[in-house]
Amino acid sequence: MSSQSGMSRAQVAVLYLTLTAAIATGIAIYSSASTVTVLFKTATTGLFLPLLLSLIVSFLLDPVVQFFEDKKINRTLSIFIVYFLMSALIFLLLLIVGIPNWEGMINALKADFPRYISRAIEWLSGLLAVAQQHFPFIENYDLAERLRSTSQSFFGLILMETPRSAIKIGSLLLLVPLFSFFFLRDNRRIMRSIISLTPNRYFEMVLDIYAHVSWQLSHFIRGRILEALIIGIVIWLGLSLTDIRYAPILAVIAGATNLVPYIGPLIGMIPGLVIALVDLGMGGQFWWILCVYVLIAQIILDNFILIPILISKVSNLHPLWVILAIIMGGKLYGVMGMIIGVPIASIINITFLEIHQYRRTFNLYNRYFTNRGKLL
Amino acid sequence: MNPFWSNIFRSNGYKQTLAYFLSTIPMFKELDDRELGFLENIVHVRNYEAEEIVFSEGDVGSGMYSIRSGKVQIFNRDEQGKETEQALLEVGDFFGEVALTASRPRCASARTTEPTVLVGLFRSDMLEAVRRHPVPSAKIMLGLNRVISDRLLQCSVQLEDLKQQLAASQKQADE
Repeated sequence: MSSQSGMSRAQVAVLYLTLTAAIATGIAIYSSASTVTVLFKTATTGLFLPLLLSLIVSFLLDPVVQFFEDKKINRTLSIFIVYFLMSALIFLLLLIVGIPNWEGMINALKADFPRYISRAIEWLSGLLAVAQQHFPFIENYDLAERLRSTSQSFFGLILMETPRSAIKIGSLLLLVPLFSFFFLRDNRRIMRSIISLTPNRYFEMVLDIYAHVSWQLSHFIRGRILEALIIGIVIWLGLSLTDIRYAPILAVIAGATNLVPYIGPLIGMIPGLVIALVDLGMGGQFWWILCVYVLIAQIILDNFILIPILISKVSNLHPLWVILAIIMGGKLYGVMGMIIGVPIASIINITFLEIHQYRRTFNLYNRYFTNRGKLL
Repeated sequence: MNPFWSNIFRSNGYKQTLAYFLSTIPMFKELDDRELGFLENIVHVRNYEAEEIVFSEGDVGSGMYSIRSGKVQIFNRDEQGKETEQALLEVGDFFGEVALTASRPRCASARTTEPTVLVGLFRSDMLEAVRRHPVPSAKIMLGLNRVISDRLLQCSVQLEDLKQQLAASQKQADE
């Protein structure tokens, strides 16, 4: 029989064994596919933020590294020089300005926070009482109580998250410089190897689109970060002219929320205004603080100076998309996700716009089909 | 030569490298070893199978190719789809260099006739190189200029010949 099939008995046995093993492996892989995705998810949690931050850092530092590289210093060495200069700069700043007492400030804020909330609610209920006199039908809405409960639960959340985020920040301080070092050194090689995977027919197109998109993206990211930084510094300076406490924290909040267009600046000024109202009262200082937030930072600096210079029109998002991005970002990564959701949406937007532009100028249909509709 | 020494001073090994191949192309003749190394990092090596279209007429081109191995046929296609071969290029030849500096439509199609390795130099990489490494880029651009000038000169000589032929044939027709 073995001579009929052309195979010896041993060969048949090996064939059976191989087939059985193959089928068993297939079933095992298929059944464990969900486990694999779970494993993959667990392995990559917490990597998203450091990777994103190091990408941003490498985008920011790239021009500086380039500056040293132009002086005929090799790239690795110039990255080290830049790192050294950055740490020296931060050290010097801390030495001159003095380390802001973050921990003390946060602890004081923790103690003060309920007071601010209750005063704000008191003030709101006063407003509500006036409103009820004129519009009796809103009596049914217990707005003050609802506000109190939500703000208290929000504050509890922040208290819970603080120690955990301290650990996170520690690991970020270690991971981000490491990742961004490699991104800075090898970004071209990484991108080249990814692009070289594209099939020959689309290669030229992908290369061109990549060149456009990366140019736009680097400008957008640098612009946004610089904008937030400048706004933060200006608000810090403006607030330190008054007697308000927690000026550095308020400036950080204002700078970070400034990354979110339309809604961000509004949210960012609320804590400052509440603290000013409670601590300083409705005096000249309050109006000055309001002026710093709205007139100086937002209208004059941001609208008339920074946005026209730093940010191109290409990256403008429709307000609807902004709100959607904030909600989705918040669902995925909490407060951090709300802040970075909009920039990520803009990045996706820029990519799509560039591809669309490319397709229009280069007319894909004519490129790959002849006029007889035959694929070339 | 003693095989031991010839193994150590492997002169053939260098001829296998991409840098050596690039140095044989007229456009890159003026580059020294260091600059060839730089060029090596901005070109893309692409592998093609036989009968594969590299680009077709009317595409907006984005760079030039040189042939490392294999053959490439340059052809035009008329309204009826009939192909006329313009040239059959071999190892060391290059094509599409007009698209290196500006996005102009390709004036002919290119197709490989056998499994081919092409070395592509593209506009986006070249523009970045001009910004970052001006000296080698200037040399490459001068080489490109030289090649295109040569072709222009050739063209005008041919045009002059054709004009004289035309004048001669018109004179014949008049007589």
